[in-house]
Amino acid sequence: MTKEEIVSITNNVFAESFEIEPERLVPEANIFLDLGLDSLDTVDLVVAIQKKFAVQIRDDERVRTIRTLADVYAFIAAIQKEKGA
Amino acid sequence: MKRVVITGMGVVSPIGGNVGEQTAAFDAGHHGIIRMPEWAAYKGLRSLIAAPAELKNEKAIPRQNRRSMGRMSIFAAQAAMEALLDARCEAGSLGGGRVGCVAGSTTASAITLNNVFETMLPEHDFSQLQSMQFFQCLSHTVAMNLAQYLGLQGVLLSTNAACASGLQAIGTAFDLIRSGRQDAVFCGGAEELHPTVTGSFDMLMAASMGYNERPDVASRPFDAARDGLVCGEGAGILFLEERERALSRGATVYAEILGFHTCSGGSHISESNREGIARCMSDALEDAQCAPSDVEYVSAHATATLQGDGEEVAAIRSVLGEQVPVSSLKGNLGHTLGASGAIELIATVAGLRRGRLYPTRNLENVAEECKGIRHVTAIEPTEARCFMKNSFAFGGINASLVCRM
Repeated sequence: MTKEEIVSITNNVFAESFEIEPERLVPEANIFLDLGLDSLDTVDLVVAIQKKFAVQIRDDERVRTIRTLADVYAFIAAIQKEKGA
Repeated sequence: MKRVVITGMGVVSPIGGNVGEQTAAFDAGHHGIIRMPEWAAYKGLRSLIAAPAELKNEKAIPRQNRRSMGRMSIFAAQAAMEALLDARCEAGSLGGGRVGCVAGSTTASAITLNNVFETMLPEHDFSQLQSMQFFQCLSHTVAMNLAQYLGLQGVLLSTNAACASGLQAIGTAFDLIRSGRQDAVFCGGAEELHPTVTGSFDMLMAASMGYNERPDVASRPFDAARDGLVCGEGAGILFLEERERALSRGATVYAEILGFHTCSGGSHISESNREGIARCMSDALEDAQCAPSDVEYVSAHATATLQGDGEEVAAIRSVLGEQVPVSSLKGNLGHTLGASGAIELIATVAGLRRGRLYPTRNLENVAEECKGIRHVTAIEPTEARCFMKNSFAFGGINASLVCRM
């Protein structure tokens, strides 16, 4: 999966699940401060990512360090790489 | 005791997305019952009709509030917002702990409950469940969502008493205000359709099964050819207020609540019991300090089940006599279950404000066991002011409310 595909699918999750306008979905956006997610939303973000990318990340400690959209992209890319390894 | 009045009403029902639409539908004799062809996929489900409400404009509710709402809570939020605007409350008057919320439903969101189990059970896997499904599956989901949406800080209670949920909520709100514990309360009930809901009544032989091809005549309370209830959905929310507070701010007073009682029949888990109903009605009258002769109309619970309608008729006859006009609005609405008490109370108040008694739709030949009271079979002009609203539920629960316009 290319980086562009990861960005596109992830941004779709934010647009569909959290109703965030596409123009606000920039890599540096803080998902809490800028996009308005809270702790409950992160639970649903994890579920959505698991579903869209066919991965299991619920117990991955790295989820707790995510702050920006770029962090999300990078995390998914890393998971994908580990999965393919 | 303080006096309690209705100053705001809001509704989402099978025949209207607000009070004005619903009232116009009653004026026109419309009904909201349709065939549900997709339900045929459920084995053993014989009742394939229902009275759906229209879900629309839900995104007007902010996502942060809406995300924890199932379909029934969205209906309730929309009805509550209509009631709030209708009551013309001043901005900022809902905080401070003096305005509460009491609402109920039969179960939590039936759709979400089903989705949760469909997601989890095949693999017994919790990892795919969403956090917001939890909040839609709580028994007090309607009340808590309403309170958070409206920013209420007062008493928050949930009355989950199946088909009596809505009227119990209104009665509880009445008690909270007249005792001085709250100044105002949003109250009512909500419900949502799902095959599992109709399937429960179907299993108990209480749902209509013989009118799948003629849904328009399926819900026929008191009629000799009735064969059970038709499930509906929606929400009714009222804004109750301490009378002096309402008058001092120049609010429109729709009606005053005079008395309420709710009790257990104490005899059977599902079958209505005329003695229990009569006791409930009598105690509500006593609470209201009304004589039986004061009651000028009864908005009956009558759901069109074979057993329940006759028991209610016997109770009405014994408590109020044979002359008081009686109708059930479920011929139009179907049985909106936990929402029915509130939706039908709102319909009654709206009708009486227009000087109209709405009839029992589809009542063509009164069943033998339903004779002996005065059935309203066509829209009647009226000057009635004092009326009673009944709601009953599985579990032997009775509830009666007495109001005066």
